[in-house]
Amino acid sequence: MFNEKIIDPAELRHWGGKIELYWIYTSGEAGDRFFKALKDEDKFIAAKCKKCGKVFFPPRMYCEFDFSETEYVEVSGEGCVRAFTVAKLDKNEKPLEKPEIYAIIDIDGTDGCMIHLLREVEPEEVQIGMKVKPVLKDKAEREGKITDILYFKPS
Amino acid sequence: MSVGKKDISCPPEAPGTPLKDSDIAEKKVTYVEDHPDIRYAWTAGQAISRFLNELKKGKLIATKCNKCRRILFPPRMFCELCYKPIDDWVYVKDTGTVQTFSISYIDPDAKPLEKPVIVAVIAVDGASKNMAFMHVLGEVEPEKVYIGMKVKAVWKPEEEREGSVTDIKYWKPIEG
Repeated sequence: MFNEKIIDPAELRHWGGKIELYWIYTSGEAGDRFFKALKDEDKFIAAKCKKCGKVFFPPRMYCEFDFSETEYVEVSGEGCVRAFTVAKLDKNEKPLEKPEIYAIIDIDGTDGCMIHLLREVEPEEVQIGMKVKPVLKDKAEREGKITDILYFKPS
Repeated sequence: MSVGKKDISCPPEAPGTPLKDSDIAEKKVTYVEDHPDIRYAWTAGQAISRFLNELKKGKLIATKCNKCRRILFPPRMFCELCYKPIDDWVYVKDTGTVQTFSISYIDPDAKPLEKPVIVAVIAVDGASKNMAFMHVLGEVEPEKVYIGMKVKAVWKPEEEREGSVTDIKYWKPIEG
């Protein structure tokens, strides 16, 4: 039987490769309005269906239940915690110095919600139903992205 | 939600919002972008590792199965017909025969090439039937290439070789 093995790893060869991926994803018309209002006016925009009255957050151009148009309304951006999870590892599975709390936040005055970070609160103190409010970046540093909201904190 | 016929009206067409590259460049619209760094390494395995290392020495190596008596090229560690490990390493010649070829006028990005590239499957002398590998032909005009043409490898100088198939620059026709 021919059972030759490679003993020296330097003898073993490989090919390296890289997959090029690059994309730009625009916010769309309603999303654009939301981010621009957040960036320039510190405002939170939702969209109310002209027919059924459902309030979408983040805003949509059309109601997904009866296809009628929506109108933009301003909301406070405050809300309450619907669900949360505590992350102790980062995305590369390295332990975090301080755990991060991710929460689904039901936004007041809307039927929608937002997933964001909770800070200025200990993981043990977070409760479902807890009232929270957003903390925004300095106006000069805002880019029109979801990270313009730094985190939510108890109100 | 109720199912069935509903009183729904929707616009006959949704025209959309056309965007120009400049709208993105001038940040007229909000967007997110990403450029993930996705890398991989694919090991060559025992047989191809040795094949590549032998290329650096200017040699073509194959493996041999003593049961079906075939010379396997490019080499592999297992005979797929006899379903058993191969028995030995053997060198094959750096001459061969064009089995099939294709003339490419464009590069991998579909850009026109100044000079067309002739890609050929070359059956190497010393290896068994149906054993061949792909490479490029040189020192020959595309219209002069034919199936069955005898060719010989043109190697890079030894100091420039790096253990890659590109250590053979191209294959050129053998005169006569």
